[in-house]
Amino acid sequence: MRFSNRRSRAALAAATLAMAAMPGTLAAQDVAIRNATILTITNGDIQNGTVVVRNGKITAVGANVSIPAGIRVIDGTGKFVMPGLIDAHSHAALEGGINEGSESVTPEVVVQVRNDDPTIYRVLAGGVTAALLLHGSANTIGGQGRVIKMRWGQPVDSMYFQGAFRIVKFALGENVTRASSTAPADQRRFPMSRMGVEFTVQYWFNKAKEYDKEWADYRAAVRTNPNAIMPRRDLRLEALSDMLKGELKVHSHSYRADEILMLIRVAEENGFRVHTFQHVLEGYKVADEMARHGAMASTFADMWAYKVEAYDAIPFNMALMAERGVVVSVNSDSPERIRRLYQEAGIGVRYGNMPVNEALKMVTLNPARQLGVDKMVGSLEVGKDGDIAVFSMHPFAGQSMVEYTIVDGKVLFDRSQANTLRKQAATQGPGGND
Amino acid sequence: MRATHRLLTTLFAAAAIVAITARVGSAQAAPGDDGPYLIRGGTVMNPGEAPMPNTDILIRNNRIAAIGSGAQAPNAKVIDASGKFIYPGMIDANTGIGLSEIGGIQTMGLRSEMGQFNPHMKALVALNVESEILGVTRMNGVTSVVTSPTGGVISGQATLINTAGWTWEDLAVVRTAGMMINLPGSGGGGRGGGRGGRGGGGANPAALAALQADFDQFMTEAKAYDAGRTDGTAKLDLIYEAMRPLFKREIPAIIPAGNEQAIRNAVAFGEKWGIRVVISGGGEAWKVRQFLAEKQVPVILGSIESAPSDDVPYDAIYAQPGLLYEAGVKFAFSTGNGSNARHVVFHAALATAYGLPPEGALKALTIWPAEILGAEKQIGSIAQGKLANLFITDGDPFDLRTQVAEVFVKGRQVPDDDRHHRLYLKYKARPTNVIVP
Repeated sequence: MRFSNRRSRAALAAATLAMAAMPGTLAAQDVAIRNATILTITNGDIQNGTVVVRNGKITAVGANVSIPAGIRVIDGTGKFVMPGLIDAHSHAALEGGINEGSESVTPEVVVQVRNDDPTIYRVLAGGVTAALLLHGSANTIGGQGRVIKMRWGQPVDSMYFQGAFRIVKFALGENVTRASSTAPADQRRFPMSRMGVEFTVQYWFNKAKEYDKEWADYRAAVRTNPNAIMPRRDLRLEALSDMLKGELKVHSHSYRADEILMLIRVAEENGFRVHTFQHVLEGYKVADEMARHGAMASTFADMWAYKVEAYDAIPFNMALMAERGVVVSVNSDSPERIRRLYQEAGIGVRYGNMPVNEALKMVTLNPARQLGVDKMVGSLEVGKDGDIAVFSMHPFAGQSMVEYTIVDGKVLFDRSQANTLRKQAATQGPGGND
Repeated sequence: MRATHRLLTTLFAAAAIVAITARVGSAQAAPGDDGPYLIRGGTVMNPGEAPMPNTDILIRNNRIAAIGSGAQAPNAKVIDASGKFIYPGMIDANTGIGLSEIGGIQTMGLRSEMGQFNPHMKALVALNVESEILGVTRMNGVTSVVTSPTGGVISGQATLINTAGWTWEDLAVVRTAGMMINLPGSGGGGRGGGRGGRGGGGANPAALAALQADFDQFMTEAKAYDAGRTDGTAKLDLIYEAMRPLFKREIPAIIPAGNEQAIRNAVAFGEKWGIRVVISGGGEAWKVRQFLAEKQVPVILGSIESAPSDDVPYDAIYAQPGLLYEAGVKFAFSTGNGSNARHVVFHAALATAYGLPPEGALKALTIWPAEILGAEKQIGSIAQGKLANLFITDGDPFDLRTQVAEVFVKGRQVPDDDRHHRLYLKYKARPTNVIVP
């Protein structure tokens, strides 16, 4: 997708940034923010409120909260505090290519995360604390993604968000078919049409059901016959079987209403659920069908006309789907938009006039539900993780910016400590005619 | 009133159905009625001026006929703007609107001609007035855009147009607003932090040197032609003729330049040939801000919605406009895009978060691009005699919660029948009984 590969140039800069900004250890930390406007998301807004985090978990949220002695206190006077933002579709911090494009069905592969991508730090500077890192959109049934927390400076396996869903990426439409439809005949790969995409899904779930039956037959047989022959294990079909069991959640890249409805019906025929449609630019046309199926939506705020299947994309998509009961998040799919995801959510207010708290949910609680982490993050409630963004003003105000980003109670971005353009400009002078 | 916003509850659904039949019936967004209009009682927010509360604006024959209090116009349609704010229409100073419709389709993206030296290519005459992007763009208060050709060394003539009109002549504000010139090897203009590539030549040093030599020769001949026309010795040449407004300093060269050296090279190029220069992109303009201010060279900023390169501070792109403003550099915002040109106000909002005063952002969206592109007598502020390009809001346009209530382009109240509103209203009114298989 849109994530550019700039690894070699990034290496030195990443190391430099890392040394400057990397926190010492991941030890959960205590922190409090006092006298701020708290946007709890689930329990309204609290004026002159305080949030306390101890051992990485929120222990108090409210207007009359005492702060334990000895912990770091951030003065939130005039500031706005909200849950750390969550991006339900990103390719940041992924190693190398994001598509296993050799075949159109590859759910056995898993994206590989790297912890030294400076994008992680810049994501934190936009208030984002967690993201779903997805496989690309070249395959009908692509690889498995990873949900991470932005624990900048930690080993890769410490960044994985424990307890999150296992998620696999499907893709429909132009991206899946493009590689083939424009390739020389001998390099083509089925499918190269939307018709072929539908059949591909049907074919592989049929195989998966056969596979499940082979194993069920074997398990039944082996009870009475110890010499029954065990079927050959197939990691691809196992992954598809996990989708049928609901243990591997299907997130499907999609644009047009026809393909959204197609996948809903194929899923219903085969006995699995499309957990979340990604992009889903024409979701507003089939919002009722999505809601009835139980599919959620993770969309762009406002991106259209960059290809034919995006010509009917409208910024009202978020509002229309939400009005019809679809759980909507707004995603970035970009190392640029992820830096200002709060602004993307606000577009739902400008276009379609979503209630402000509903728009804020699109980058907090709703993506948390889509990633299976809503018991832990997505709102400011006692017992949830201390993942918090502190804004200078309301996040939808034009002049608002992120001042602190906190993950597990640890301040990982602090604007006052960050290397800013103004600090750099001050050391370089005004750039006269030298 | 525009139908989309706070009013739209279920109560409104029935009315919306009626509206759809009217709106979806016409294939494209209409430029709106000519008026006259009387906008009553709003607070006028002009760049660089104090807010003017409780002000009336009379619009007649595309222009602002009067501005003040107690205006009377018996035949005018009255718009009540009390409690609302009236801003001059915003300008996106670099797009491909009207030339390019859908990015992924070659025949819908014809912004480049063959060859390297195309000063005779005019964006204006190839504009598709029916572009759906025009309607979508204006509904957020963007009433004018620059549309530019791309490619080669001299890409052609950029034009400054309004976002509503019946023909390209009707759209035009400044037919030729600038000449797009990619200096060989100059590096791209659109993004932050010194990356190379755009502008003919590429990475091959021999090819680059050859291209530079060709360009020097072209400029030399064009300059000689200009002198020859002045003294009557040269006969008409359509290509060199197109270069004369540059030498007469009637239009600027708009030169993409990202890094510090490319910017200095672009300014030197202008001085060498005696032509005015506007920097486009200007990712590292902050490094030479005093130089640009002294030389009075303006900048059309590249997209603020860009990720900075890894070797600059995280907020470099957001914070640069504030530094330029303090240094006295005149600049304009641009999306460099077509379909998301209406986001230019959100680009400016990001800049205000990181140090640009809101009044500076308003200038850089209105009067400054008008001045940079020679349109300050036509647009850029709400003033008697100027085109009536304005929009009415219930608050600060940089705040995402603010709703745009009305948009006027060239004195016409544009209806909310752009592609996005048409689809919105159509599916908003879809019956809720799900069709099950």
